[in-house]
Amino acid sequence: MSQPAAVPIEAGVVDVLRNVSRRPIDPAPEHDLVADLGFDSLQVLEVIAELEDRFDISIPLNDVPSTRTVAQIVAQVTRLAAEQSTSPSKS
Amino acid sequence: MPTLRTLPEALAEAARAGDGYYFLADGHETFRSYADVRGAACRFARALVESGLRRGDLVGLVLNDAEAFLTALMGASMAGVVPASMHPPAAVGDLTRFVDLTAGILRSSAARAVVTERALLPHFDAVRAACPALSLVLAREDLDAPASDPPSHPSLDDIALVQFTSGSTSAPKGVVLTHRNLAANIEAINGPAGLGLAQGDVGVSWLPLNHDMGLVGMALTPVYASLTGVLMPPAMFVKRPVEWLRAITRFRGTISFAPHFAYDLCLRRVKDRDLEGLDLSRWRAAGCGAEPIYPPTFAAFAARFAAVGFRDTSFFPCYGLAEHVLAATLPVRDRLPRIDTAAVLAPSGSSTEDRAPLPRAAREVAGIPLVGCGRALPGHEVRIVDEADRPLPDRCVGEIALKGPSVMMGYYNRDTLTAETIRDGWLHTGDLGYLSDGELFVSGRAKDVIIVNGRKHHPQDLEWAVGDLAGVRRGRVAAFGIDEPGRPDRVVVVVEPSGTVRADDLVAGIRRRVGDVFGLYVDEVAIVPSGTVGRTTSGKVQRSATKARYVQGDFSAATVEG
Repeated sequence: MSQPAAVPIEAGVVDVLRNVSRRPIDPAPEHDLVADLGFDSLQVLEVIAELEDRFDISIPLNDVPSTRTVAQIVAQVTRLAAEQSTSPSKS
Repeated sequence: MPTLRTLPEALAEAARAGDGYYFLADGHETFRSYADVRGAACRFARALVESGLRRGDLVGLVLNDAEAFLTALMGASMAGVVPASMHPPAAVGDLTRFVDLTAGILRSSAARAVVTERALLPHFDAVRAACPALSLVLAREDLDAPASDPPSHPSLDDIALVQFTSGSTSAPKGVVLTHRNLAANIEAINGPAGLGLAQGDVGVSWLPLNHDMGLVGMALTPVYASLTGVLMPPAMFVKRPVEWLRAITRFRGTISFAPHFAYDLCLRRVKDRDLEGLDLSRWRAAGCGAEPIYPPTFAAFAARFAAVGFRDTSFFPCYGLAEHVLAATLPVRDRLPRIDTAAVLAPSGSSTEDRAPLPRAAREVAGIPLVGCGRALPGHEVRIVDEADRPLPDRCVGEIALKGPSVMMGYYNRDTLTAETIRDGWLHTGDLGYLSDGELFVSGRAKDVIIVNGRKHHPQDLEWAVGDLAGVRRGRVAAFGIDEPGRPDRVVVVVEPSGTVRADDLVAGIRRRVGDVFGLYVDEVAIVPSGTVGRTTSGKVQRSATKARYVQGDFSAATVEG
């Protein structure tokens, strides 16, 4: 299941990044949120909140500093979506 | 005026009264009575003494967790040492760079010890080598002696706190506050001419504790008033601004302060469906300070949240700065903020066009509505002076100067800077404004400060942070902010290149570095020819001159990346 899910997750992540950004951006997997896409620390947290809503996951704040590129975000969301959809606390 | 108390005395009294802090985190909350907090502070104090620290030693506190930080701050006073509050690493950040900045402060202040979190300890190994006076790097988690009475009792004139406002390498500015300073400011804020705190008042805050408004305004005021304080991590608010309003609802919050940008963030990010269940009707003092206040944001906030009980008379715009503990002026309660759009006069009889503050101020004032920030605190004075320190009459713009028991003792180990800043007992703020019937209107900010999202950034910190990047000519960087009413400053970095680094890579490198260290986006990087970023004879970057040329459009569009 995890392989086919990767494509919609990536598209969803890109959509969230576009919505949060103040300027037109064209995110690619290797792009760094701060250096390449121009997000400040406030917007990085806004991205986290929007991802949580869209994918019905919970992203621990401790994980945020290690997540820098679009590809890393996609991988993290993919992992959390798989973990948390099987956990009994999430419906 | 009430009797002034030291922080440990205020805490002991609050401990007897029975209230405490609620510490909120994602998904849970912890109540700590002030008796619990005092107990933890006493144990920390005892452990500090046992670790070999002596009276007057400077101890850096680099702690993210609110409970760990507050008990350490209070315990430091009980141990007789001088606590210095320093920025923990940003949520998004490059730890190596953070450690460099921290080492700069610890070294120049000759700190004897630093207390941090166990998880950050490995990063401090490298710091020791750079800081000869630093003999101890301690984990907060390990500093917990058995139950103890306070090892010592500070006096009102002992130092309660050093707050570092600038992390610049060579010359950090640490604001030194005594217990008398703290108590004088807090009692004025809490008292009848300020918030008029009474039984039933509850403070709610998401503000960082290494900032004067978060620490003094929201975390210490409840202790001195023996009232409940609710504290949440800043990241929790920034991630979901509605969590701030939910906490006010749930804890029946009456007092909550935040910079302008927080009200703006609520307008943009609180969704209509989130309004359900909110009740802001008890929020009687919605404080605002720390960055320029833009009236239209208030009006929009009041309109949006009126449906859930918010009253526009709750806005409580203030003026203050860390060098004055926190507050310098406070408005009248339960009144609509005073807005002033009238022209501002130059002093009568003034014939000199080039009197420094006036032309600049007049330009900044033109057309921009200003919000009244209230009157001087009881027992304190505010006046407006010209560049020769002569007091100016009402409605004349000049520098804001403050006098009274809240004026800091000085900058830590910076006697010359202190003497330049406090003259004849008057603290010279560098901010511009005018008085009208005793009410202060702030029209311009301290020179050079860049304000983004309530946080003040010093250009020299940004310049230093990018100064060693490949492709940057050493010492030829100027950073500054372009202010736009109601918006964060635009951050501009002007740089002379060196070597053969591609322009794209240089721009990306600068953005990445500033983002890593400060969580800040650089709106524009201007790459300019050699010799453009001038230096004074003493070697300082000519920032104002560079900014003036940028504003005039001297740097051609081809070299500006944005």
